[in-house]
Amino acid sequence: MTDFDIGKGKTIGIYAAVIGVVYLVLGVIEVFGGAGDVIPGDLFGGLALVVIAATFLYGIKSTFDGDHKGLSFLIGGLFLSAVFGILYLLLMGADGLMFLLGEADEFSVLADFRPAIWMFILSLPLAYLARGLTKDVTW
Amino acid sequence: MSEVLGEDPEVILAERRYDAIARIMESAVRKEEGKWTFTDMLDHVFLHRALGIPIFLVLLWAVFQFTFAFSEPFMVMVEVFFGWLGGLAAAGIANPQLASFVADGLCGGVGSVLVFVPPIFMLFLALAILEDSGYLSRAAFVMDRVMYKLGLHGRSFIPMISGFGCNIPAIMATRSIESEKDRMITILVNPLISCGARLPVYVLIGGALFGAAAGTAVFSMYVLGIALAILMALIFRKTLFKGKPAPFVLELPHYMVPKAKTAILHMWERGKLFLIRAGTIIFVVVVLLWFLSVYPWAATNGGEIIENSYVAGLGKAIQPIFAPFGWDWMTTVAIIFGFLAKEVVVATYAMLLGTGEEAVGDTLVSIGLFTPLTGYAFMAFVLIYVPCVATIGAIWRETNSWKWPVFTMVYLTVLAFVVSGLIIGIGRLLGYT
Repeated sequence: MTDFDIGKGKTIGIYAAVIGVVYLVLGVIEVFGGAGDVIPGDLFGGLALVVIAATFLYGIKSTFDGDHKGLSFLIGGLFLSAVFGILYLLLMGADGLMFLLGEADEFSVLADFRPAIWMFILSLPLAYLARGLTKDVTW
Repeated sequence: MSEVLGEDPEVILAERRYDAIARIMESAVRKEEGKWTFTDMLDHVFLHRALGIPIFLVLLWAVFQFTFAFSEPFMVMVEVFFGWLGGLAAAGIANPQLASFVADGLCGGVGSVLVFVPPIFMLFLALAILEDSGYLSRAAFVMDRVMYKLGLHGRSFIPMISGFGCNIPAIMATRSIESEKDRMITILVNPLISCGARLPVYVLIGGALFGAAAGTAVFSMYVLGIALAILMALIFRKTLFKGKPAPFVLELPHYMVPKAKTAILHMWERGKLFLIRAGTIIFVVVVLLWFLSVYPWAATNGGEIIENSYVAGLGKAIQPIFAPFGWDWMTTVAIIFGFLAKEVVVATYAMLLGTGEEAVGDTLVSIGLFTPLTGYAFMAFVLIYVPCVATIGAIWRETNSWKWPVFTMVYLTVLAFVVSGLIIGIGRLLGYT
């Protein structure tokens, strides 16, 4: 017996796999020095992306099988994705404030728009899909 | 048994204990038909054998990134305020000694410590959110396996995490550990956990020397503290307190979305200790430091020639001990006064350098007081060496003996010299200056 519809599980699983792989690639690039302004080098930031990737990827097989444990890892990945996305958004705000205070020479939204932010935004549809399967779940 | 089972029997016993609890829960607690909860789901992830610890570490790193980077503009605002206040005092007070006391002593000294109110409150806010969400007890749980293998009790991790705020309540929290040996080990290693008072030192030195990597440098100090605490616990377990840690059973609360009001209250409860210290012990030490740095008044030309001050004499007399690390007499003075309260290290630099709060970090670099290597070794030294006098008092009260506070001071000082020496030595071997 499955915990939820396998068809929906496959859709979510495929999306999570794609997100997980992209997180992994970005994380590895950040760990090994980055690539231009879009993906800056950041050892610990990169490792954080790798951990998020591992969390997403760990649950894919179980999600395909309709097991709620698989969904758990996707929700865990979404939680981490939100933590780091919001963290970098706050840091972007702080950089903007530093510029307004005259403490920074320049402020570029593009340079501050780190991979963790756009990956968080890209993972929001997954959160919407997962929400459909967890509507009745309580804390 | 360990060889046959491939695992420590105590760990297997603990797992069996949890299995038994789960079976009892299954038969005694009725859940809604066929439904799992978010708590079950998140526990699959956060308590996972392979992912649990990496997730804990990246969350901890996020906490310090938030603490350091997000608080920067707010620190600038406090700096600007105290700079303005100091300028106002210097210009408006006719008596030069009183003007020096108010501008350099109070605004410069106490102000340089209060600049670090934003990162300290941010750190406590982040920890309060983690605690209120129910995650911190999971962190203790995932660390239990590692801690047990290293000779520490899983319950020790909660006082260790409390130590991020202040070591004193953390040491008092060890009363919840039933085994006397486990409790003693936890007390003795707790000063290695970076308390809020060390954060201003890390932020000052890290921010001045490591630029964009400052948050990571600060994070590395917290990780170094945890690693050393675990290492020392292992050594104490093998030598002073032989035996196995008692089994660890922890009730995990349900996860919940933290409430802003509760998180802010928790932040305030912990953060106000810092403000109280700034108004009491730090104020007194800063006044003492100001006196020692401007007198003899004629010889220092009203604090202008600090090399002739009493404090310079004291620092120069002790400095040879720290010469191999490349630290000068000002750093020596900072270390000495840091014993009274770690935040005073920052105030010491502000006063000795005679700069405004906003320029302390830049001046440390521009006059060549630190290179990234010697600065990093200094951060490690501040982390490890003798804890503040209040923590020593707490150890004395909790152990009811002077033997353990003295032992703590001695072993931490030796460890501080060893670790800082290793950082300098290895750094030089790698080509850093």
